[in-house]
Amino acid sequence: MKNGFRQSMAWLHTWTGLLVGWLLLLIFMAGTASYYREEISRWMRPELPATTVSTDVAAARAVQYLQAHAGQAETWFVTLPDPRNPAMRLFWRNPESLAKPPVDGERRRRGGGRFGDATVDPNTGDKLEARDTRGGEFFYRLHFDLHYIPVVWARYLVGFCAMFMLVAIITGVITHKKIFKDFFTFRKDKGLRSWLDFHNVSAVMALPYHAMITYTGIVTLMVMYLPWGIKVAYPTDENAFFSEAFGGMPEVSAPAEGRSSPLPITRLLESARAHWQGVDVSGFTVTHPGAANAVIDIRQRDGRRLSTDTPALRYDMVSGQLLSETPASGAATATRGVLYGLHLARFADWGLRAFFFVSGLIGCLMVASGVVLWAVKERPKHAKRSRIGFGLRLVDALNIGAVAGLPIAFAAYFWGNRLLPVRLPERADAEVSVFFYAWAAALLAGFIWPRRSMWTGLLYLGAVLFALLPLLNALTTQAHLGVTMVSGDWVLAGFDLVMLAFGAMLALCGWRMQRWTPPISAAEKKKRAALQAGTAGAGA
Amino acid sequence: MMLLSLCVSFTAFAALSLAMEKHQQDLHGRRAALLLRRRSWSVLGWLLLAVAFGLCIGEHGWAMGPVVWLGTLTLSGIALAFGLYPWKPHWVVPLAVLLPVIGLIAAI
Repeated sequence: MKNGFRQSMAWLHTWTGLLVGWLLLLIFMAGTASYYREEISRWMRPELPATTVSTDVAAARAVQYLQAHAGQAETWFVTLPDPRNPAMRLFWRNPESLAKPPVDGERRRRGGGRFGDATVDPNTGDKLEARDTRGGEFFYRLHFDLHYIPVVWARYLVGFCAMFMLVAIITGVITHKKIFKDFFTFRKDKGLRSWLDFHNVSAVMALPYHAMITYTGIVTLMVMYLPWGIKVAYPTDENAFFSEAFGGMPEVSAPAEGRSSPLPITRLLESARAHWQGVDVSGFTVTHPGAANAVIDIRQRDGRRLSTDTPALRYDMVSGQLLSETPASGAATATRGVLYGLHLARFADWGLRAFFFVSGLIGCLMVASGVVLWAVKERPKHAKRSRIGFGLRLVDALNIGAVAGLPIAFAAYFWGNRLLPVRLPERADAEVSVFFYAWAAALLAGFIWPRRSMWTGLLYLGAVLFALLPLLNALTTQAHLGVTMVSGDWVLAGFDLVMLAFGAMLALCGWRMQRWTPPISAAEKKKRAALQAGTAGAGA
Repeated sequence: MMLLSLCVSFTAFAALSLAMEKHQQDLHGRRAALLLRRRSWSVLGWLLLAVAFGLCIGEHGWAMGPVVWLGTLTLSGIALAFGLYPWKPHWVVPLAVLLPVIGLIAAI
């Protein structure tokens, strides 16, 4: 380690950042995409209807469908449609003893007939046959569960990256000598200087966001990273901790023998809305449907609340009596709820969500410029020795594979969604494979030829893949820009337009990479000028 | 309303950047403003930041307001540092005047 406080902080910043940089970029990109996971999921299932109905109508359709197809189920889970997601998702758990085979058309889940699910059109109450895809959920899972490796390892790895990121943020602020003087400073076309400015400005402008998202990210998984407190206080029953700390409803007693018909769902939802002074409902869970002691837990819609702890009400489904309400949480739980909520940004309306998305993109740029900066800084040392060392070659390859390769992987995932045959078995997994094949190919390309031409080529490839997505969408579906812009369906139109914007941005990066010339030193400039003056003088 | 706070934040940051010698030179070269003038830019900038904060709190409450406010700051800062100053420095002042007016009209 070097002497001096600032130098040692700079050292720490460089190496913590570089070590986790590439994985961090994947986490940041996937996490940023997750702000729009509902919208991505919708775009990836273009068969779904675009119109919405009132929650009451949708809820009635849901109950109708479930009574017909899952009358024997132990529990029903219903997520009602909202403007972001017009389809309705139903999920049910069958009694294990029955273990009946799924109704035809229902997808067989792991565990045979124990679970069932369906996506239902809230207009008609019919089951929707949409292509099988993981949609935006894939990105959401990817950003903390990764893929191909056990979830527990993945989460430890992601937590490790997040801790390093936190260290890099703190040491970065300490290292940045002129944080206020250079607040708005970005000097373009200055080689290393420009990269440093870019890294600084992208970090400083969104610093509250970067610090918040990293810290709250760790908090979301804190119970997993630090389980010992719970192990000491609740040595035998961890679930007791969760139900005490995070509230939720008490367990429901066993189903009663008698059957009786429940109240109409609209009346139950009406009582819940009245109880919440008009706040709408996002979904509900019915336990022991059809039994004499059936109960319904009604969940409040996320709205103007920072916390993720969703208030819920439990009613007796037969008498309509209010049985219980989620208790007000204690200070520690409320704090966790708010931190968790800030990370997920479920409270955000479209404007605030756009802020979070842009801040996330700035975070991606900060991480990307950080790893590139290392290589730019290192290069002159190697140039002096007139051969590229192993370390720089490795970093160059990984930079190309991650910074230019990840956009290709994201675009390829969407291409896979449109081009893979709709009836392909294990289709959702095949789409995920497309993502990783594309990324692996880009990484491989980076390792084979870690040069500027590879940077340019891959950036252009990413640009083309993104920019042509709206065209591909128009060729393969009925939900393309020509339709969605006319009908004002801004979720689907917005997706296509954002893809175009990404294509343009990547093309710009590729173009600048292509025509960039290394800056010449002042001494070199003088020499050339003198030479020119000399020839001009000789000519005259 | 969110547009208005965004516009006010932009003008606040523009004023704060005008309070810095470096950016005065970017814009006016040798005719850069003197210290006293830059002081007043700085006061105006901080005042407008406070106004934007007030607008966000008024619109979104104490829980969400600060989050929105920070978002507007990030967006305007990025626009200034990566967009206007390196590429179109002479748009900074006209936009700083124009945007709050547009925001105000949109809010009404």
